[in-house]
Amino acid sequence: MAIELRPLEQFAIERIVPLHIGGIDVSYTNAALMMTIAVVAATTLMVVATRRAALVPGRWQSVAEMLYEFVADMVDSNIGQGGRQFFPFVFTLFAFILFANLLGMIPYSYTTTSQIIVTFALAAVVFILVTAIGIIRHGFYFLSLFVPQGVPKVLLLLLVPIELLSYCIRPFTLSIRLFANMLAGHTMLAIFGGFAASLGILAFFPTAINVLLVGLEFLVAVLQAYVFAILTCLYLGEAVHLH
Amino acid sequence: MSEREPPDPLAGLGERIDRARAQHVRREPATGDRAALQQGVGFGFRIGLELVVAIGVATALGWAIDHWLGTRPWGIIILFFLGIAAGMLNVYRAVSGINAPVGYRYPPSTPGGDLEDEDEN
Repeated sequence: MAIELRPLEQFAIERIVPLHIGGIDVSYTNAALMMTIAVVAATTLMVVATRRAALVPGRWQSVAEMLYEFVADMVDSNIGQGGRQFFPFVFTLFAFILFANLLGMIPYSYTTTSQIIVTFALAAVVFILVTAIGIIRHGFYFLSLFVPQGVPKVLLLLLVPIELLSYCIRPFTLSIRLFANMLAGHTMLAIFGGFAASLGILAFFPTAINVLLVGLEFLVAVLQAYVFAILTCLYLGEAVHLH
Repeated sequence: MSEREPPDPLAGLGERIDRARAQHVRREPATGDRAALQQGVGFGFRIGLELVVAIGVATALGWAIDHWLGTRPWGIIILFFLGIAAGMLNVYRAVSGINAPVGYRYPPSTPGGDLEDEDEN
């Protein structure tokens, strides 16, 4: 009896509520459902945890406070002065990605961050926001970001395009890093799970590896949310201070 | 029961928190080896990605420019090499700890920040 291995099946998008507006498919899909759940879960956690705020925090309040302090620390140390006004943005981003990643770890759920369009949309928002803030704060002087200091004029012809390119590549690295990590991890889990299903008595070995991999995946889920948030902070800090 | 002054529940709290924090810091070096390895792997992955994505995106951009302006093959050639340069630049910056600032400006005084933290990967 052969068991079909389809490790990529878990990433399939399914329409839950088919909906077409003006020839555009805006169906409510399983990915959209998981995103809604992530938003609702994160909001619920913060609301419930802070509703009965006590001086000595309970369990839920501790979680919320840890999350808050973690992001506040990150914002303070990476944006520095005037960074607190970006705290809501960074916190929302971090909480959403963290919840999306962690909810994806529940068996039979769906990992929205394994869709590149989702991560790219997030990265594009960051990119546009950073550029807009830089231009609003510094006007044309923002373009001086692309002109290295103390370089002969002739070399600028070469260096400015390189700087510009390395700036424009950011949303791609930002989104591909998150997407690739989640996609690769979940595919690996499915492959080893498939091995376990097809090996019979020898299934112990792939199962053991899978147990370890699940732990690793939890690490990756949290770490990638952190990386996304901290890079956002670095980019914001750069646009605010222009170094 | 409530006749005497109730003890302040927060009396020793600050001290206790400090003690817990100190313990936490002290425990860290023990797991340092494995953590360092994991960080290294993550960092390596980031470096590789940085280079590959830079080249890929730049080449795609060059192809698109060629497609629109009919300048084949110059756009793709020039942007391919620019992509390599940009990727190298990003890698160099990530490795040398100034993370990803565009431009060569080293901050004279970091605005309350530690820009040389490499623990993010």
